[in-house]
Amino acid sequence: MNAQALELLYLLVRKDLKVRYKSSILGYAWALANPFVFAFVYWVAFKYIMRVQMENYSLYLITGIFPWLWLSIGVTQATRSYQNNASLVKKVRIPRAILPLSSVVQEMVHFLFALPVIVAFLAFAGGFGLHASWLWQLPLMLAVQLAFVYPVALVFAVGNVYVHDIEHLAGLAFAMLFFLTPMVYPISMVPEGLRRYFELNPLHALMDGWRGVFLSGAIDAGKLAYAIACAAVFAGIAWFAYRRFAPRIAELL
Amino acid sequence: MTPVVECVDLWKSYSGRRVGLKTLLLRPEAARTSRFARRWALEGVSFTVARGQGFGILGANGTGKTTLLSILLGTVLADRGSLAVRGRVASLIEIGAGFHPELSGRDNLFLYGAILGMRRLEVAERYRAIVEFSELGDAVEEPLRTYSAGMVARLGFSLIAHAPADIFLIDEVLAVGDARFQEKCRRHLQEFRKRNGTLVIVSHDMEALAEVCDEGIRLDLGRVADAGPIGDLIRRYHGP
Repeated sequence: MNAQALELLYLLVRKDLKVRYKSSILGYAWALANPFVFAFVYWVAFKYIMRVQMENYSLYLITGIFPWLWLSIGVTQATRSYQNNASLVKKVRIPRAILPLSSVVQEMVHFLFALPVIVAFLAFAGGFGLHASWLWQLPLMLAVQLAFVYPVALVFAVGNVYVHDIEHLAGLAFAMLFFLTPMVYPISMVPEGLRRYFELNPLHALMDGWRGVFLSGAIDAGKLAYAIACAAVFAGIAWFAYRRFAPRIAELL
Repeated sequence: MTPVVECVDLWKSYSGRRVGLKTLLLRPEAARTSRFARRWALEGVSFTVARGQGFGILGANGTGKTTLLSILLGTVLADRGSLAVRGRVASLIEIGAGFHPELSGRDNLFLYGAILGMRRLEVAERYRAIVEFSELGDAVEEPLRTYSAGMVARLGFSLIAHAPADIFLIDEVLAVGDARFQEKCRRHLQEFRKRNGTLVIVSHDMEALAEVCDEGIRLDLGRVADAGPIGDLIRRYHGP
């Protein structure tokens, strides 16, 4: 990506953030409220009603939900990015791969804004401290998740121009995957025979990576390698799909 | 001298209508027939534009003018034929594509500049000249939603007018703002041509075309129906 495209990406992301935070008095607080309310509801439901037996359950929820929302909202927003910016596709010539990327990066920036709050929550609710290893682990996890999410977002966005149903499928898929990844119970609760299928889910590898970093400053190297390998495969598919199908999207919008 | 725009035998059909999953699954034959129902939007269009020329494209609605311009811009691909566009292109196909109502005029200028392929520095260097040209004054600091339609158009045109370009592609946007500003835009386009800039304009405004163009073609249902000096073209199209 050249410098001009980077500047365009920067301005597109800045536009969305500015608009989002400007239009309400509590802009930043609202962005945080959503994941916290989610986490709180699951905490009540699963800790006190379903009686999940797990130490630090609230921390398990919080450290998963924030990166999850980046991923799921990023992809669902990106899926509609060509429809939402039809005039940019039809009336001017911009590098089209940038539109879904700006959706994904925008959600990444939200996640970055939330990081201090996650860390504060870890410290106050669980007595967890900072880790020096975060200096390389957090950027690494950010890079891996971005590299993982963007190709998926790009394929969904281009595909959605051809087959409109993809945006509905994406919404359903993330609702389902939230429970299958798993996000609200530990994978150790999954019955032995099923567990290895659950572990094939690259989203599990990613989320496990985030939790490891936040809670103990350690990443499971095997799972991380698996997430990176999946990201590489998705990137290959996305590259092919984009080259094959993106040139015609202007006339289909 | 090599022409800056060279189209040879361009063909284009809009075959790929978007189909829903329902159609694909339940009525695959319907999906196929709607996708391959051939109708040529352009049929063997050829023309060349020399550097510094003003080139007008005339024709009734739905004859392929905008399709042709989109192909020149590169947002739509031709099915057949060859196309060469030599130089930096700026499009005035839709003024303010990508403007956001909540952002100030200034923020929108930088964003729009990036959308048109300009660097931040290029916009910053020209910022004063752009605002001066638009005559918007302090209003550039206000959010765009407070602007009238004419003010929005002024902002967009002023930026494009200062974009570093060798070729302007213009689709029916000569009617910007009030009469005085329109006059200013036309003068600006003529000066642009004097600096050896090239214009390709689609318009129904014959008076404006006659003023800023010297050559042109008339499209009829996707074919070149007439070509030549703009005055003759308009006379043959509308009668004397």
